[in-house]
Parts: sequence; structure tokens; C-alpha cells
Amino acid sequence: MSIAAEGAPGAGARPEPRPSAVTPRLMAKATATRRRRAARLKLWIGSACTLVVVVPIVLAGVLPLPGPNEQDLSKRRLPPLTDGHLFGTDQLGRDLLSRVLHGGQVSLSIGLLAVLVSGIIGIVAGAAAGYYGRWVDTVVSRLLEAQLSLPLLMMLLLVVALFGPSVTVITCVIAVAQWPEVARLTRSLVLVEREKPYVAAAQVLGLRKFAILIRHIIPNIVRQATLVVLLLLAQAVLLESALSYLGAGPQRPFATWGRIISDGQDYITTSWWLVTLPGLVIALLVIGVNLVGDGLRDRTRRRTRTEADR
Amino acid sequence: MLRYLARRVGQSVLTVFLTVSTVFVLIRMAPGDPAAAMAGPNPSTEDLNRIREQLGLTESLPAQYWIFIKDLLGGDLGTSYAFRAPALDVVLDRVPYTVTLAISAIAVTTVLAVPLGVWMARRADTKRELGASIMTIAGQSMPDFWIGVMLLTMFAVVVPVLPASGFTTWGGLVLPTVTVATLQLALISRLVRREMAAALASPYVTVARSRGVSERALTWRYAMRNSAIPVLTALGTRFAALLNGVVVVEVVFGWPGVGSLVVRALETRDYPLIQATVLVTASLAILVQLLIDLCYPLLDPRVRLGKAA
Repeated sequence: MSIAAEGAPGAGARPEPRPSAVTPRLMAKATATRRRRAARLKLWIGSACTLVVVVPIVLAGVLPLPGPNEQDLSKRRLPPLTDGHLFGTDQLGRDLLSRVLHGGQVSLSIGLLAVLVSGIIGIVAGAAAGYYGRWVDTVVSRLLEAQLSLPLLMMLLLVVALFGPSVTVITCVIAVAQWPEVARLTRSLVLVEREKPYVAAAQVLGLRKFAILIRHIIPNIVRQATLVVLLLLAQAVLLESALSYLGAGPQRPFATWGRIISDGQDYITTSWWLVTLPGLVIALLVIGVNLVGDGLRDRTRRRTRTEADR
Repeated sequence: MLRYLARRVGQSVLTVFLTVSTVFVLIRMAPGDPAAAMAGPNPSTEDLNRIREQLGLTESLPAQYWIFIKDLLGGDLGTSYAFRAPALDVVLDRVPYTVTLAISAIAVTTVLAVPLGVWMARRADTKRELGASIMTIAGQSMPDFWIGVMLLTMFAVVVPVLPASGFTTWGGLVLPTVTVATLQLALISRLVRREMAAALASPYVTVARSRGVSERALTWRYAMRNSAIPVLTALGTRFAALLNGVVVVEVVFGWPGVGSLVVRALETRDYPLIQATVLVTASLAILVQLLIDLCYPLLDPRVRLGKAA
């Protein structure tokens, strides 16, 4: 602030323009630079955490690991780093690392699918509400307000109890739980977008409303909407693990993160690793995804405070 | 003011109605005979017929819906299979425990999250703030049941200073509260930070500063009052999410509330009981939100004068 003020008074008297008073050191300390550096740091840490978890999960089938359901009762509850078991073994002598990685495959695929479905529902519903307004907006807004004000976990448990804990049901349940977030953001983005001149231009050119929405508005907002979707992936993974912890996850033979932890909880006094390590893996993945999402959002932040991001 | 009140109450009623209808549709959509589902495992033919009669499954769908609503209004949510008692009573017995945990969690969250958020807003974009921001992201990224089990291990098993489960002494409240509050603390403090940072950067604060108002007054009297409403709204909306967390945490700590009840009901496929918990917790969340919304006129003259959109 003070830099510009110092240079100003004498500027007219001097024949030669002074070199800029803004030194590289000042630039490095400027808020904008710091903000960009913070965003980059978050992106780096986030990607590192995510990759550390995701790469082994994807390669779980290829890695030289015992099967996730291979029991060896003579090797029950071995501590980590013994006999080639990096994470140790569980109460039935199964390799914990292998179980965590295969459980991760289930959790990640459910998470990705759920996020895809909720992203599509959310973008369609939110765009329709924001663009058409009137009764469409009323219906969608009331619906998502209602859903956001409910403790949904109970409802999800009821659905799982009624329809059975299959992967399809759980994916749908998580998708339904998450669409309001996407819809709310998309709606607010579309509300801003539809007032822009290019929309008026398209109208003048005689394009139909639907065509304007699909061909012009949605492509302009889809990037920002997908950012939220990334954050939803983290939530989906957490929700899936909570459901399976409560006994409403995909049933055996799938090893899921939540169930590995709830099974290991019985042995917590003697075998700390059965709960600690799987939990750390979940936390690492979710922290990673959240950091990447946060970093990307900081980077593309140029909106007003009314479009609260969550 | 009256119009605002009427609109908010109307919205709440609508939400309750939507919840009830969803539950009705879900139960009718479920595969298999709803009577068999309501009766629990291995029912006899007489049982099934009796329940079909009770549910009015011989009637048309709208008539069935009407009966369902009528039963609800009469407080009849069916009989719990496992407890052999009215499902509503079983749930209501547990509600005080859940509410105790929820209130203590929200109190701890508010007391810690507001100062933390303000601190982060005033030191926005410094190294320390970045550290705090990464910490809050970590806080909202850990599965709550896992935090619970870890705290349990540390403070009840390794260093046994607090009771591990149940609610016999007030000490038993500490670990569940901390577990629930961790996630909420992270979310609310980030929200406070965002609102406060925006408020502190706005022109009226600059004007007040130029008039020589102290930084402390700027923060708490000027910026805070304008940030209070979004934060309060979030606390209201988050109450529903908080109840989700409470459900999970109750299971970890063997807390005798609604959460551990619903999980047991899930194991025994006790549908009337799950249905009752859904409706009771939903009503609870809606009620809390309504109460919070009714506080707005106290904080915001625009709402009081009926000018807010």
C-alpha cells in the first residue's frame, strides 16, 4: 500500500522514470503471491497423499500380496512388518495390507460411481432450476432444502435395510445423499451465467431456450461444478466407510474399509494395527482429495462471497 | 415478521410431509411383501394376514397412504419386533441421550470454532493460517468412527482416565463429544473464516477503521455481527449432519441413544423401529432448524422488518 504512495509525489519533477519500487522480495511477500503459493502447496501435498493411496489400490491385483480372503490360522494377528506382512495380519491370519487395498477398490469404485451419478443428477436439476426458474426452481430448491435439513444417515440405513446391502443400492443411496450439493452450486452458477450478454445474443439469433442451456451455459459452468464433485468423492468414501462400519455396507466376501475397522475394534487392546492402519489409509486418501479440491478452488477463486462454496 | 414466521413454519411442515411420504414410498417399493418385512424373520401365515389387515394392504394405494398418515398423526408407528413395544416409545426413550450428546457437541464446536475462524480470518494468507487450514482439512477428512476408536484406545485403554462406553458418569460424555465435535469444528471454523474474511475486507470496516475504531471492536462488533447470520444458518443446517455423526459415534462408544438403537434394529431387520427413528430424528432436526431460523429477527433488522428475500 505504502509503496505506491511514496513514488507518487516526486514523479512529475523527475525527467527519467524511476525504476519500480516493487522489488522481487516484495513481490514474493505479496498476498496474491502467497495465496498462489499456498494453493500450489495444497495441490502438491494433496496429490502426493492421494497417489500414495490410489496407486497401490489400483495395482492391488498385480502386487505380490496374499489374497484378501486367504486365511492362515497359524499366523493370526501378527504385528506389522513381520513375515513379509507389511501391515501385519488380522484375527483370521489374513494379510491386512491386501485386505485394505482390495477394500479400497470397492470403496473407490462405489465412490466414483456415486459421484458420477450425483454429479449428473445435480447438474441437470440445478441447471434446470437456475435457468427455467418459476415452478422448476421452486420444486428443486424446496427438495434440496428439505433434504439438506434432514439427518439422512437414518434414511439411508432404512433404504439399505429394505433393499439389501448390494453395491448398486449403496451406490444409489450415496448418490442420492449427495446430489443437493452439486445442484445448489450449479443453480447459483447458472443464475449468474444466464444474465450474461452471450445468452442474450444467442436468444437474438433465435436459438431455443433448451439449446442455449445445453450448448452454451452448461459448458461454461461445468468446470466449476466438477470441482465440487471432487470434494464429493472424499465425502462419498467417508460415507461408504461409515455405512459399512454400521453394518450396512457391501456384504462378504467384499472386504470394506468400514468393516475391517469394526472387526478390528474387538482386538484393539492387543492389536492396535487392525484399526489404526486402515483408518490412516482412509484419512490419507480423503485428506489428499480434499486438499487437491481446496487447492484447485483457491486457484480458480474469482467469485463473490454469495456463491458460498462448501 | 408474521409472514416470515408463517413461511418458515410452512416450510418445516412441508419437509416433514416429504420425509413421511418418502418413507411410505420406500416401504411400498421394497422388494417382497411389506407384511413379511414388517413382521420380521420367519412369520407365520396368521401373522402375515393379521399384519396385512393392519396395514390395510387390501385397500387402494391412496387409501393406504391415508391410513399411514392417520396412524402417524395418532403416534402409531407400528410395534418394534425386537422390543415388543410401540416403536415410537422405544425411540423416544432414547432421544434424551442423543440430544445430550448433540447439544454438548454443538456447544464445544461453537466455543472453539468461532475464535479459531476469527483468528484464521485475521491472519488470512499467512503461513500459520495455511497450517491451520491444512489442519482443519485433516479434521474434516478423518472418519468419525475411526477418531472415536482411536480416542477410546488412547484415553480409556492405554491411559485409562475416562470411561470407555455408556453414560453412567459425566466423564463418559467427554470422548463422544470430542469425536463428534472434531468434524464440526473443522467445517464451522472454515465457514467462520470465510465469512469473517469477507466482512473484514468490506468497505464499512475500512471506513470504521479510518475513524479509529479499535481492531477488537472492528472484529467483534462490526464484522462479527454481519457474519453471525450465515454462521448461525450453517449451525442449523449442520445440526442434521451432526445427528449423522452422533449416530455413528454412539455405536463406537456404546452410547444408549438413538444411533446405537438404529444399528441394532438394522441387524434384526426391525423395520418399524428404523422407520420410527427416521421420523423422530427428522422431526428433531427440522424443529432445531425452525428454532434457529426464528432467532434471525433478533439478529437481523431486515428480517424483522420483513425486507429480506
